[in-house]
This record gives sequence, C-alpha cells and structure tokens, in this order.
Amino acid sequence: MDDKRVPNGIILTEAQKKSRRQRSIAIALALGVLVVLFFAVTIVRGPAVLVRPI
Amino acid sequence: MSVIDHNAIELPPRISEADVADYIALLKPRVMSLVIFTALVGLLIAPGHVHPVLAFTSILCIAVGAGASGALNMWYESDIDALMSRTANRPIPRGRVTRPEALTFGMTLAFFSVMTLGILVNWVAGALLAFTIFFYVVIYTMALKRWTAQNIVIGGAAGALPPVVAWAAATGSLSVEPLLLFLIIFFWTPPHFWALALFRTDDYARAGVPMLPVVAGPDATRLQILLYTIVLVAVAFAPWPLGYFDAVYGVTSLVLGAGMLTLAISVYRRREGSGALRATRKLFAFSILYLFALFATLLLEVVAHAVAPSIW
Repeated sequence: MDDKRVPNGIILTEAQKKSRRQRSIAIALALGVLVVLFFAVTIVRGPAVLVRPI
Repeated sequence: MSVIDHNAIELPPRISEADVADYIALLKPRVMSLVIFTALVGLLIAPGHVHPVLAFTSILCIAVGAGASGALNMWYESDIDALMSRTANRPIPRGRVTRPEALTFGMTLAFFSVMTLGILVNWVAGALLAFTIFFYVVIYTMALKRWTAQNIVIGGAAGALPPVVAWAAATGSLSVEPLLLFLIIFFWTPPHFWALALFRTDDYARAGVPMLPVVAGPDATRLQILLYTIVLVAVAFAPWPLGYFDAVYGVTSLVLGAGMLTLAISVYRRREGSGALRATRKLFAFSILYLFALFATLLLEVVAHAVAPSIW
C-alpha cells in the first residue's frame, strides 16, 4: 500500500512561498512604521495632538 | 434558463508570485523621487518651524500618495502599457501583478496616505493630497489622456501640486510662494513630456494615445515646445524680481533658462535625421536637470539662511 498521502487544497511552489513571505514582511514593516509614526506624532504634539487647522 | 455554464472549465485560483520589487515598481519610484524632492523644497521654504517628525510624516504621506497615483495609473492603463515599449515591462503587462491587485494596492495606499496626513498633520494638506490623487487618476488618466492632445498640459497640474501640499502641511494654509512652485512645474511639464513624445511617437500612435506629435505632427509639437519653454523661463525667473526668492535663485534661473531655451530652439530648428533626434533627447534630459537644479537652488538658499542668516 502506498503510504504517501495526497494533500488536499493548493500546494504552493517554493517561488510562491518565497514571494508570499516577502510580501508578508513588507506589510508587517509598513504597519510597524504606521504605528511608530502615530506614536511619535502623539509624543511630539502632546496634549495638542487633536488641535490642528481644519 | 440558467446563466451559469455548468460545463465551463473551473480554473484553479491564481497564486501570486509577485514580490516586493513588483509592488515597488507599481509606485513609479522615479516619479516618486521627483515628487519627494519638490515637496521637500515646498516644506522647507515655508515660514516657521516644522518639527522634524511632522516634516518626515508629511513627506512620507506625499510620497505614498504619489505612489498610490502611480499604481492606480498602471491599473487603468495596463492595456496601453502592454503596447508601448517604454511601459511593456511594467508589472501588470508582464503578468506579475493582476489589475485587481494593483487597484487594491493603489486604493489602500491612497486611503492611508490621505488619512494619515489629515489626522497627524492637518486637513488642508490631507484634502490637497486627496485632490492631487483624484486629479492624476480620474482627470488625467481616465478622462484626458486618451481624449485630448492637451492631456499632459492640464494633467500636469497633478505633478505640480506636491510642493503646494507640502507647504500646506507646514503652514496649514496656502500662499503665493507654493503657487509659484506650482506654476514652474506646470509650465515645465509640456516641454518635458512633448520632448519624450517626439522620440516615442510610434509608441504612442500604436497605443492610440493622442499625444501632440501623433495628433498635430512633429512640427507643431516643436513650436509648442518652444512657446511653452519661453513661458517656463519667464515664470521661473519672475519670483526673483517679484521679491519672493533671492538673487542666487534669480541668476541660476536665468542661466538654466538660457540652456533650456537654447535646446528648445535647437529642437525647433532641427527637424530631420539623427540631429533632430539628438536635439530632442538632449532637451528631455536637460529638462530633468533644469527642474532639479532650480529646486536645489531654493533648498540651498534655505540652508544658507539657516546657517548664516546675517550674510543672506
């Protein structure tokens, strides 16, 4: 009896896995920058963070 | 009767192999670098002090907004990009990124850049950035580009707005100086892009884009390049006698303007053979240097004022 199991669903190639990992890291970095940016501006502006020209 | 064809072949879902470089290419990095530079000048010549964190945030948002415009432009123009040698290697025509992926990417960046600029800096700048993206994507890309030979004249307004957005980010308002920067880029755009269109006429004709050389012919384009260059040189020089920018800028503007005018005259006079092509390519290359040097001079004036205010 063949012991190998046929996996269900889509199997990603190595190239697809690599590019997906790259994209995930880029999204994580972008979100990180956004969080740091909001934090830094809140510190810089202090209590006046919501006071700005409309 | 069912509208679904149950005998149709079910295709497996497409798995993207697009890497980060493909998405960076969607942002049009070379255009973005010019946007960053002109916005930086707009921000630094603005009166008053801007905190470095807010300055960085502003430039980042403007850069991302410009990138979003590029991605949305590539989403809409992928059909004609595939037909032109200059753009056939872009991620969508190459099959690296699909149109819906580019649309989602562009819309996400546009949303976050505008909202971040509005929330963290001010809503005048945020609204102006939103207008810039709208103008580039909807007015220029969707409406004008395939409809009129004046596409890049009117559409040039989108490329001219970044220093205005940056000024608004620094001051929360608008003034004459950023509008002068706007006018310089606005009148620089036609000679720059028509020079490119002159040596890419076949490309544009194949794609059905009504650029001026395709619609009106090369001779009419050469005349328009010369006329717009005369206006550009005058507009770029005007801020000095009007008292907005210093003498160093005025003299630099004159010298660079003389170079630009000489090359535009050369393009107008040389109409045949390799000499004509060389003249057009020279004007195209010099026009990039012209704008960069003009804005770099303004940047140097700001630095000089900060370092040695008594001398300046």
